[in-house]
Amino acid sequence: MYGTTFVDKNKPVKNILEGEDPEKLAEFEARITRGEKIEPKDWMPREYRRQLIRMIEQHAHSEIIGALPEGTWITRAPGFRRKLALMAKVQDEVGHGQLLYSAAETLGKSREAMINDLINGKSKYSNVFNYPAMTWGDTAIIAWLIDAGAIINQVTNAKGSYGPYCRALERICSEESFHLKYGHDNVVYLATGTPKQRELVQDALNRWWTPIMHFHGPPDKISAHTEILMKWKVKMASNDDMRQQFLNEYVPKIWDLGLTIPDPKLRKNEETGKWEYTEPDWDEFKRVINGEGPCNKERLQVRRWAEERGAWVRRALKKAEQKYSIPLA
Amino acid sequence: MKSFDPRVNRMELPSNDDGKEVLESEENWETYEVFHQKKRGDQHIHVGIVHAANPEMALILAKESFGRRRQTANIWVVKSSLVYPTDYENQDMFETTPEKTYREASDYYCMDRIRKYQKEHGISDRKDERRKNKEAEEK
Amino acid sequence: MKFDEQQLKAVKEFLYKIADDQLIIGHRNSEWTGLGPILEEDIAFSSIAQDKLGQSMHIYEILYSLGEKDPDTIAFTREAKDFKCSHFVEYMIGEYDFSLMRNFLFSHSELIRFEMLAESSLEPLANLAKKYKGEIKYHVMHSDLWVKQLGKANEESHARMQSALNECFNLALGIFEESEFAEDLKEMKIFDGEKFLRDKWLEQIMPVLEKASLETPPQSNWSPVYGGRKGEHTEYLQPLLDEMGAVFRLDPKAEW
Repeated sequence: MYGTTFVDKNKPVKNILEGEDPEKLAEFEARITRGEKIEPKDWMPREYRRQLIRMIEQHAHSEIIGALPEGTWITRAPGFRRKLALMAKVQDEVGHGQLLYSAAETLGKSREAMINDLINGKSKYSNVFNYPAMTWGDTAIIAWLIDAGAIINQVTNAKGSYGPYCRALERICSEESFHLKYGHDNVVYLATGTPKQRELVQDALNRWWTPIMHFHGPPDKISAHTEILMKWKVKMASNDDMRQQFLNEYVPKIWDLGLTIPDPKLRKNEETGKWEYTEPDWDEFKRVINGEGPCNKERLQVRRWAEERGAWVRRALKKAEQKYSIPLA
Repeated sequence: MKSFDPRVNRMELPSNDDGKEVLESEENWETYEVFHQKKRGDQHIHVGIVHAANPEMALILAKESFGRRRQTANIWVVKSSLVYPTDYENQDMFETTPEKTYREASDYYCMDRIRKYQKEHGISDRKDERRKNKEAEEK
Repeated sequence: MKFDEQQLKAVKEFLYKIADDQLIIGHRNSEWTGLGPILEEDIAFSSIAQDKLGQSMHIYEILYSLGEKDPDTIAFTREAKDFKCSHFVEYMIGEYDFSLMRNFLFSHSELIRFEMLAESSLEPLANLAKKYKGEIKYHVMHSDLWVKQLGKANEESHARMQSALNECFNLALGIFEESEFAEDLKEMKIFDGEKFLRDKWLEQIMPVLEKASLETPPQSNWSPVYGGRKGEHTEYLQPLLDEMGAVFRLDPKAEW
């Protein structure tokens, strides 16, 4: 869900570009076509700014909310190495949230406004975190396969047109490599461990497979609107393309461990090079993203709890003479 | 309702259904640009921002935001409002810079001129000499 | 270093005490990860927690070399009665004022303790002390910043920090519960004693608290909370250990 753009199919393209200076627009688009980045103070169409704020903000929220299902297992992590690594991973997620909010702030929306919109449900975050991490096996699957999905998104979007977002993503990608390795290591130890451990991780994989298939978003229908977003390098690849990339890289690795995936149709068509699978339930996706998932309410309640508990610290040190500032880059 | 998260079960969760805006404006203070030096002798490089209430806090926070996962010798913080940038609208003032090759070492080549003069004035070419000596030794 | 039976007991008890404090406070502080008052501070606090956990692990490794079990087994399978941590570190995280104040008082004691240990005749410990000097210095810088700034920021923050100090002080004094082997440790030139440490600690924290406009209770009211070093603990420790070991104990022989 995060790193994806929202296209209002009902809004005609004409309206989106209405009132934009055609000369400036042409210059802006030429810059992007040349492969140059757009920086914060550059002229940009309203719709570009709007889509980017939305996309980057949602990505930031996903990191912060994602810290919750994984963070719950820090106090129960087995052994020093896993405990320290999980702490560092979750800490990184908070750090990534910080980096992403900073990128979105360059576009003129304050961090306070973004956090408020998260808590009151106006802004969304990756749907996958509306499910609970029920066992230690869940954390292993999340750390490996959800992070894998995220990395594919991030590497793709890092080639986008907005400078601050690209720079944030580069930094994030370099830290994510540890997350992926940690996650994979975890799954391997469980899958190759005692029968109980193997059961733990297989069970987690069974429960998480649908959210994993949902991760890159519903199949997108190419419209004139998506075409503009692709021209502006806001949308870099289709959801299906990223899902295919994920399946291609990770399903063989899952099967390497003798783990099973709960989709009898899942196979790579060697002729087309594409993976075939049972289409996941997109109605469930819609229901969950609109608030009916097992953890939606709890996630936002916890965020509200955290912000309310910390308010005294923030307000005590807020000075009367401080001025709202926008980061430079 | 019991949560899968033991931390959550220790919290008294607010209902969060009043649509209230939880954060007031500027509660996250101001931003400071952070510059990171990897090793002594390196340049400080701009790496991002921290939100902080004052410079002392900005340094303490920047250490972990930007120094925890990379080698670090030193960090600077500067209030975002104190950084003076050039205007991207004036990026064109930098445009002809790469054309001024008279400032580039690669723009200088005069071997041909040396060889011509050597030929005309019977000055031996050192490279040729070395080559001839080497061939003689090898025989 | 060669130890007789009594000396070995003294050394092991000493190491357990230090590492147990670090493990438990590190675990407590890790509960804040993702829930801090502002993103950047959340990140910083988590690093401090990781540092303490790492330090405890390295001290358990010294114990392992002295014949005790491996660090994971020591940390994740012992029952409360076998722990030597102070009551102070067992308390729940409370609000951020409590956790900050606990860190302030504890980090200052760690700073001095490890300064003393840098000269210790117990070489592996002295080496760790030298290695961790920088980390602990940052913990003190971090705590000092928050205590000083929040102590004076506004009425509410001042009241909270004062109340946290009131709650923490006697518990903090419990860090310095003297060991029955204090003389042995001194003779072996391993450690000069908790009393010496406590005096230095008071000298160090008082000026910072003054800058923060915070007051410690009058000395006549001091009542150190002892017992932790002898294996007598609060009601908070066993549930903490149960949670910490929840996955590990599913199968202590498994590799996770």
